[in-house]
Amino acid sequence: MMLNDRENDVNMKLAGFFLPVVLFTLWYIFTLDGGVPAYLLPSPGDLASTGIDFAIGENPPYGGTLFVHTMASVQRVITGFGLAVALGLPLGFLTGRIGLARASLDPTVHLIRIVPGISWLPIAMVWFGVGETTTLFLISLAAFFPVYVNAAQGASTVSPMLIRAGRMLGANDLRIFTTVIIPASMPATLAGLRLGLGLSWAYLVLGELTGVTYGLGAVMMDARMLGNVDMVLVSMIFIGFFGRISDIALVKSFRKFGLLKNGDRI
Amino acid sequence: MKRTNLSAIGISKTFSRTGSNDSLPVLDMIDFAIQEGEFVSILGPSGCGKSTLLNILAGFEPADIGHATCCDDPIQAPSPERAVVFQSPLLFPWLHVQDNVMYGLKQKGISKADSEELALKYIKDVGLEGFEGYYPSQLSGGMQHRVSLARSLVLNPKVLLMDEPFSSLDAQTRYSMQQLLLRLWEDNRKTIVFITHDVEEALLISDRVCIMSQRPGKIVEEIKVTFDRPRDISLTSSQDFSRLKAHILTRLLS
Repeated sequence: MMLNDRENDVNMKLAGFFLPVVLFTLWYIFTLDGGVPAYLLPSPGDLASTGIDFAIGENPPYGGTLFVHTMASVQRVITGFGLAVALGLPLGFLTGRIGLARASLDPTVHLIRIVPGISWLPIAMVWFGVGETTTLFLISLAAFFPVYVNAAQGASTVSPMLIRAGRMLGANDLRIFTTVIIPASMPATLAGLRLGLGLSWAYLVLGELTGVTYGLGAVMMDARMLGNVDMVLVSMIFIGFFGRISDIALVKSFRKFGLLKNGDRI
Repeated sequence: MKRTNLSAIGISKTFSRTGSNDSLPVLDMIDFAIQEGEFVSILGPSGCGKSTLLNILAGFEPADIGHATCCDDPIQAPSPERAVVFQSPLLFPWLHVQDNVMYGLKQKGISKADSEELALKYIKDVGLEGFEGYYPSQLSGGMQHRVSLARSLVLNPKVLLMDEPFSSLDAQTRYSMQQLLLRLWEDNRKTIVFITHDVEEALLISDRVCIMSQRPGKIVEEIKVTFDRPRDISLTSSQDFSRLKAHILTRLLS
């Protein structure tokens, strides 16, 4: 029986805290009186009180507005990423397995993929105007490619012997697809989903910077114009925080639905 | 007279490399007939085409000339009637032991309760009681092979096709797997075709040994193995055994 090297897990977790503690200490020292001025980099304490005010305070213009802005952003990520997944997963699995689908779809998709996502912003603003639809378009477009490419990669590299084993056990074409190819592609597919979700947050900010009323990206742009560096940084921290939470939730849901087995280290 | 369960009729197969005219004859006019309940080993040097022959019997690949039949029906596609135990266990790594064993039953449309009962019985038979909830990656190589055997046997196949299933195991584990296979076989007397390059293994387990030549493989001799069953490892030191082994080795080397 193979045993995981569990005895090292505690040390591994401690190792993860080392770098943040060092960075935090440096930040603290540099922002002491006489160091870096606050309009460039606020001190940890100032930032914390701004953050707390953003979350539960009452000081205008941002006090207590974290929830509405977060909800607006999360909703956009879910819609945009959801659209990318709804298209990217099935098309990826099909191109990974079916020669005709690959031949007719893959070259065009990769041609479009090469165009940087950011360069779609101007044309998206022409097509969809500033704001909501443009943001969703940018998120879906950016997240589609890693989801599609990794699902296709995962599906095309499933061991032919594993497929033989399934056939020998009596599975027909459809069952081979649903019970062998899709589960066997899951590690690569999940990697694609995680990349796609990460890009969704990135393009969310890009879209929101161009002018929406609510959303963490909107707060960031607004605060910059008001010269409120604290608020810009606080928004960045919350975007990072929620982005990471969504990533963890994605991986956890994969485990929960048995798409990853417990031994997999992701 | 027992029915013929599996036969090869003039099977030849040539591999051609794509993009060139080179061709590699692999099998040359293979003929045999295996009776119901017979345990036959196909013994040959590596690269002689014995795995290709098994793939044709399993329905994974077609023969170029000739054909194979199972119970008088031509073999055209893989079927759970001819269950395969592969060289590596090839379990589904995302399913735990019990779900791996139940996979084939699920494809047959057998009810959940019935397949659970059957799966547990076969898991017990291969000595893995208590490991139902383990994933393949948590099991040793030998244990994975036991699961692979159980998931094929649970389908109650007419023929069991085994492609050097124990060749990657260490000597002790291989011996215990051979004994396990024999014990199960004595209970249900399935027709078994067992591919191997190990002369002792072939003599220890089978009723009949078909010796294949170097590529292009053809069957050069068939030997009935008449040692009393059950056979254990002490048989390998007997004179008859050694004589037979020496004879086969000579045939293989010639």
